[in-house]
Amino acid sequence: MTPSSSLDTAGAAPHDEHHDHHPSYLVDGTTIKSWLLTVDHKRIGVMFLFFILLFFLVGGIFALLLRVELLTPGPTIMDAMTYNRTFTLHGLVMIFLFMIPAIPAVFGNFMLPLMLGAKDVAFPRLNLASFYIYLTGAVFMLWGMLNGGLDTGWTFYTPYSTHTTTTVAPVMFGAFIIGFSSIATGINFIVTCHTMRAPGITWFKMPLFVWAIYATSCIQVLATPVIGLLTVLVAVENLFSFGMFDPARGGDPVLFQHLFWFYSHPAVYIMVLPAFGVMSEVVSTYSRKNIFGYRAVAYSSLGIAFVGFFAWGHHMFVSGQSTFDAGVFGVLTMLVGVFTAIKVFNWVGTVYKGAVEFSTPFAYFCGFLFFTVFGGMTGIALGTVSLDVPWHDTYFVVAHFHFIMVGATIMAFLASLHYWFPKMFGKTYHEGWGLVSAALIILGFNATFIPQFLVGNNGMPRRYYDYPERFQALNVASTAGASLLAFGFLIIAFYLTYALVFGEASGKNPWRSKGYEWVSESPPPTHNFVGPQVTFPEEPHFYVDPKKAEVPDAV
Amino acid sequence: MAIANESHQEEKNMHEHHGAGRYWLIWGVLLVLTVVTVVTGRMHLPSFGLLLALVIATVKGTLVALYFMHLSEHRGANRIVFGVSIVFVVLMLAIPMADLGTRFRGANPPGSQYSDLQPPDIGTGAQRGRFGGGLRPHQTKDTPETPEPGHH
Amino acid sequence: MQSSAHTADGTANVPRLAEHFASLEVQNHAARLGMWLFLATEILLFAGLFVCYGCYRFLFPEAWAAGSRSLDLTMGTVNTIVLITSSLTAALAVHYAKEGKNKMVGVMFALTLVMALGFLVIKYFEYAHKFHIGTLPGRYYFYEGMQMPGITLYFTVYFCSTALHALHVVIGMTVLAVAMVRAFKKKDFGPNNYTMVELGSMYWHLVDLVWIFLFPMLYLV
Repeated sequence: MTPSSSLDTAGAAPHDEHHDHHPSYLVDGTTIKSWLLTVDHKRIGVMFLFFILLFFLVGGIFALLLRVELLTPGPTIMDAMTYNRTFTLHGLVMIFLFMIPAIPAVFGNFMLPLMLGAKDVAFPRLNLASFYIYLTGAVFMLWGMLNGGLDTGWTFYTPYSTHTTTTVAPVMFGAFIIGFSSIATGINFIVTCHTMRAPGITWFKMPLFVWAIYATSCIQVLATPVIGLLTVLVAVENLFSFGMFDPARGGDPVLFQHLFWFYSHPAVYIMVLPAFGVMSEVVSTYSRKNIFGYRAVAYSSLGIAFVGFFAWGHHMFVSGQSTFDAGVFGVLTMLVGVFTAIKVFNWVGTVYKGAVEFSTPFAYFCGFLFFTVFGGMTGIALGTVSLDVPWHDTYFVVAHFHFIMVGATIMAFLASLHYWFPKMFGKTYHEGWGLVSAALIILGFNATFIPQFLVGNNGMPRRYYDYPERFQALNVASTAGASLLAFGFLIIAFYLTYALVFGEASGKNPWRSKGYEWVSESPPPTHNFVGPQVTFPEEPHFYVDPKKAEVPDAV
Repeated sequence: MAIANESHQEEKNMHEHHGAGRYWLIWGVLLVLTVVTVVTGRMHLPSFGLLLALVIATVKGTLVALYFMHLSEHRGANRIVFGVSIVFVVLMLAIPMADLGTRFRGANPPGSQYSDLQPPDIGTGAQRGRFGGGLRPHQTKDTPETPEPGHH
Repeated sequence: MQSSAHTADGTANVPRLAEHFASLEVQNHAARLGMWLFLATEILLFAGLFVCYGCYRFLFPEAWAAGSRSLDLTMGTVNTIVLITSSLTAALAVHYAKEGKNKMVGVMFALTLVMALGFLVIKYFEYAHKFHIGTLPGRYYFYEGMQMPGITLYFTVYFCSTALHALHVVIGMTVLAVAMVRAFKKKDFGPNNYTMVELGSMYWHLVDLVWIFLFPMLYLV
């Protein structure tokens, strides 16, 4: 791995000679206390990474159990009630404990200050608090899951959720607490973007990942309080029967759904916008080109965040919502497609005539692009009222949102894990194994969810542990794909753990990326930048055009 | 040391200092408006009573936000944050209410003004009571508003 | 909110600059913007209940009218006036903090706290009355004077929103009490160090702001 090119930055030069005096954040204090009570955004990001991967494992095990159960019609390994609990827990763990904090809390936390030239986020102690609040909420949730579980589905729709005897209250309370963590992270990042930018980094010089995180944080701040209130109302309802959403007392369950999706639809963009941001960084780096249409990509992040708030009713087309509202929501849903398409075209425009280096993160980018377009297009179809009515609550919907959740977010999570692995830990992983597992995961993903589109289109409803004989072939294919997917993840776990311990030192900038985060050392020292104020390059990802340069950046 | 320009501007705005008089003035206006809203509320104005009360509340809220919370001196992000949150509150109110107003009548909660269905009888015992009330065992169903169950 | 490096020396009342901020201006700006964002989340939190209120009032106008008439308007009005006045004293505390008059800051916050306590006491009497006659949420409702569809929902919304508001009053009181103690003990608020007073007072104004809307919604219409 070559060290960073001299074009990288003038400001980085002075602290090379002092490098020994400023140990990296990883070794600056090695006691357990120095980790648990740290206010360093990088250490908090790493701690988040650990727990998020742990919960990803838990959610993944639930997913595999579901797929094994669906291998044959009738009970395979569990009964109907256990199945209901399992898919609920899969949804809750994956959404609240993994997907929502995944990219913002880990990579956002780690990269945002580095990309803005700041020493830390604006409120470091709030940042640490957000980590412990997350853990507290997770403990409540897991306690509830172990003591009776929850069988409402992750959407905990009333009136069932207010009457079920499973442990609604602790799980709702856990979700409520995790909401605070999400809000704290969001506030922290917005304030960081506003106040902590280094001289010269104006709004339109911020890396696109920062833009994406900024838009995500706006959603977190505006939407999360509503779900917080709603979880409390459901818990109270379940414990005391206040009748807020109880039709027997004049309450309207559809109103619950309105409030629920007011958060939970924008929450989809909390999960997927950071993924878009990661991909904007990855595609620039490995195409050796500045992003095509920087402003359009930046604005479209805000655009998605904004119109995302106007689309929630498309989850409720068959709920009893008025046809007027359904029509309005159907039309507004299409707007999300417009902004997403802007991004997709710009990514493709970036790769076009670039000097592509086909490394592991870029492989994930390719998978991501396909899944996002495919998942997005099926989303447009599902946003059409007349099409949604027969597809509603079938596996078609399940496959659609997994294309976005897994296909976009997890691909981006894995891409960022690989792309920023050297940045975070200063080690390199084995590129060959990286590509092999990427191939397995992308193949396995297709094998898992494309059959689900088909089986859903044939009419198999979601959330049933049983199905007619004729759906078995497709279900077996899906389970086989899920196993392949799990195998791919296992390989990643092995080679990344190996790289963490035995990997070669990566040097400062192994990808020769011109992203702002690579201006600092890898891994960075505790306060990110030592010595005088660092000057940043003109703009992030400013590469010499590979076709014009005499000595191109690209190889 | 150079910093983001926003903070300079912010600091400049916040260094204005006024006499305490304006707070007392605002307080007086708020009290007057409270009295106005109570008096007009007592009249139970037929159709625009709610509107009037909300307009007065909005004026009062604006005064508090602008002068007590110093929003009038803020520029940029602080104002936008507040404005945006209000926009989303309105959005969240408007859409479900539009839904209730335009919904198929049968899908509205029974017993409401937009439904033709009778409110359901929710049983006896601890949950007895026609409209969801009633832990008292002597609670009966023959209050005038209570039609016989199962008919309409 | 950073603690001060110098205490009670009267002149150099400058808050400690946290290591990661470029300057004090940035630190104050960050704190204020963070507070505004937090207040936005609070507004959205209450908005959820406002939506329930709006929708159910739309569905059950008669129950809403009957329910609001059954509340004690006098107590509600007194509470509104108490809360608005406490907001005034909180605003004045910021005013005095900017001038460095720490004693007045403490006094103003003390007055605010007294009024907040008064608000809670009045609220307690209102609640006690409702518990007595049985205008309670959901299945606890046993008041025979009003029997109509949706009436229990009115009291569900009433209790949920006033209880959430009362919780915010208690949180606000805690924050203001901390600031008050500091104004009396450390006496270090001044023209360059009033962020804590300002933010605490902003939170209190939000509590007031929410009540300004809750009062006409619940008591008047």
